[in-house]
Amino acid sequence: MYPTSLVLSSTLLMILIFLITPVLNTLSSKPLPQNWSSTHVKSAVKMSFFTSLIPLFIFFNNGTETIVSSFTWMDLATFDINISLKFDIYSIVFTPVALYVTWSILEFASWYMHSDPAMNRFFKYLLIFLIAMITLVTANNMFQLFIGWEGVGIMSFLLIGWWHARADANTAALQAVLYNRIGDIGLIIAMAWIATNLNSWEMHQIFLFSNNMDLTLPLLGLILAAAGKSAQFGLHPWLPSAMEGPTPVSALLHSSTMVVAGIFLMVRMSPLLETNPLALTLCLCLGALTTLFTAICALTQNDIKKIIAFSTSSQLGLMMVTIGLNQPQLAFLHICTHAFFKAMLFLCSGSIIHSLNDEQDIRKMGGMHRLTPFTSSSMTLGSLALTGTPFLAGFFSKDAIIEALNNSYLNAWALLITLLATSLTAVYSLRVIFFVSMGNPRFPSLSPINENNPLVINPIKRLAFGSIVAGLLICSNISLLKTPVMTMPFFAKTAAIVVTLMGFLVALELALMTSKQAFITPSLNTHRFSNLLAFYPNIMHRTSPANSLTFGQTIATQVMDLSWLEKSGPKLMISLNTALASTVSNAQKGAVKTYLTSLLLTLVLTTLIFNF
Amino acid sequence: MRTSHPLIAVSMAIVGFRRWAQALSKGQGSGISALLSGSRAASGAAKGNLPGPYPKTPEERAAAAKKYNLTAADYQPFPDQGLGYGDYPKLPDRSQHERDPWYDWDHPDLRRNWGEPIHWDFDAYIRNRVDTSPTVLSWSSMCKQLFGFIGFMLFMFYLGEKFPCYQPIAPKQYPYNDLYLEKGGDPEKQPEAVKHYEI
Repeated sequence: MYPTSLVLSSTLLMILIFLITPVLNTLSSKPLPQNWSSTHVKSAVKMSFFTSLIPLFIFFNNGTETIVSSFTWMDLATFDINISLKFDIYSIVFTPVALYVTWSILEFASWYMHSDPAMNRFFKYLLIFLIAMITLVTANNMFQLFIGWEGVGIMSFLLIGWWHARADANTAALQAVLYNRIGDIGLIIAMAWIATNLNSWEMHQIFLFSNNMDLTLPLLGLILAAAGKSAQFGLHPWLPSAMEGPTPVSALLHSSTMVVAGIFLMVRMSPLLETNPLALTLCLCLGALTTLFTAICALTQNDIKKIIAFSTSSQLGLMMVTIGLNQPQLAFLHICTHAFFKAMLFLCSGSIIHSLNDEQDIRKMGGMHRLTPFTSSSMTLGSLALTGTPFLAGFFSKDAIIEALNNSYLNAWALLITLLATSLTAVYSLRVIFFVSMGNPRFPSLSPINENNPLVINPIKRLAFGSIVAGLLICSNISLLKTPVMTMPFFAKTAAIVVTLMGFLVALELALMTSKQAFITPSLNTHRFSNLLAFYPNIMHRTSPANSLTFGQTIATQVMDLSWLEKSGPKLMISLNTALASTVSNAQKGAVKTYLTSLLLTLVLTTLIFNF
Repeated sequence: MRTSHPLIAVSMAIVGFRRWAQALSKGQGSGISALLSGSRAASGAAKGNLPGPYPKTPEERAAAAKKYNLTAADYQPFPDQGLGYGDYPKLPDRSQHERDPWYDWDHPDLRRNWGEPIHWDFDAYIRNRVDTSPTVLSWSSMCKQLFGFIGFMLFMFYLGEKFPCYQPIAPKQYPYNDLYLEKGGDPEKQPEAVKHYEI
């Protein structure tokens, strides 16, 4: 028995116990202590984070991976479902990242939500979400993954609709649930196919036995699941709408952890994806379309949270592109680095929103660099990391992805629009910084705007630190399975940074032009297309609910009665019988004697014929 | 007389039971009898308030309009096509999004006042569902732009599949005499030497 693997599994199980205990404490009838959220929940997550560093360092040192199987839930003849936890590179690296980010967000949330009477419940929901997410990433079988999958979906619904008296928040929560449900159909199709054809839901068995099979159907199901959960084009509107929830929810769920669950599923299932070029092409094209489309939409939004949400969606598209390039580890690397700077961007935006008395429109911000220098500097740092500035966290993952893109022999259009989206990332990032931090304030003077609360500053500081070093730390300690291409033409190597710089310069030029009015009336067509998300929500959210609801209503109230009483029941009898009766009675002319005579004649004739 | 005592008792019991049942069926009891009968005072629709058949005469139309709290000019029933609408009013298909958000409604979340006639499809027109408010552009313009964009993207993806990056400039060169053995060549025979380069 190797002590390292025992230490690994013990610490990881301890993490789950640390996280579940506060939730179980809420089930008792005793009232929770006043500061339960800070003393119990945040401490639990902080302890779990430090505990999770032990397996991380063991893994970096030895490469130890463990699979822990316990409790058998169901044991049929050849098909069994256990609680089976897989601690491989993906879960060992992702768990500390998720816990670090969650710890920072919980500390921030204790400031952001301090005036909320149900703060304890809020923290409980966040903790349950975290447990579901860890269940998802450590799952070694599809059933456990599905439990985590649904768990994060439900908690997302409850948290987006936190301010449930607000109709827009309810609509957004419903949107999240419905779009995720469409993705769940794909996941269930995949699970059903795997269960019937591969006879197991355990990951290693799936990978072993699927060698020579045609996996198109389950892979399409998995891609649909990832598209639903990770807001790919077609199932994307829920993510910007999810910004109705409080900022800590947006920071935790809708940037770092929940939305990457779809990509994580793809990463887990990458051995199945590798052999299917159709699935890879679909991932590539869907991801490329998503990243460009959402980057275009982010260019003209005015709500700071929506811009960051579209930025998240664009990065998710980039992760999907990486999956399509058959580089799951690069996608995973981007998940980890993206969590840091995206959560930091959300926390900075939350701090600015609260400081400006809940103002979320960037047109009414400005000059925040002089008022909240730390927050705006962190925001700038986060934006630089997002755009892939050399040697920050985002550089290691994003640049590697663009290099792999440029060296691949794949769909030229997908590669081109991904590069364009990279450039647009720089444009909208600069737009946010320009409107929020630069220039002069466009709001009435408010007081006090200060940054003296450690509950706000420390989380942002921690995440800023992560945004700088996380990429380097992770890359130096893991070994990539697929060798990256090292020799490439100069332009291919520098494409990412050239395109980003061009984006920055164009955006700066355009932004500085706004000090003078160039046209009397601006050209609105492209602006409307981008601002209203290419009219996708306008069209889809009016046609399909209207059609299905009126269809359902018509069936329930009219078609049922119509079909059973009129078309197939008593009235059908009436119409048939009257038709028959009138036909027959019209045919009868009443000449009974003629009929009898003809009958007699025919009888006599047949008797004569058959006797002779 | 003594022998008929049980008979009298039974008949009195039956009468009492009948009176109790009548009292229950009339409703408007309180406490346990209300619970048992399931009816309370002032609950349920009064006889005149339920929807009725399609109004044919102007008097019927006026009575129906009054019943639904509409003016006679506003009242418009559904066409009488045997679909079971009766005299229910056909209200304009406008969702609750279009109503004034700042007015002091009796039910603010539903943007509805007490006594207002309820649309036949009211559940589809609440604020969480279908929105019929006017759009910035016309429906056809929006559809053209969205589906044009999607169509253009799909077409370009198709072209990108046909013409991937790095078009090959020469046929791919394989080792081991163009993979002679792997392609099923005869192991006994000596394959012809394939030379891909010249130094």
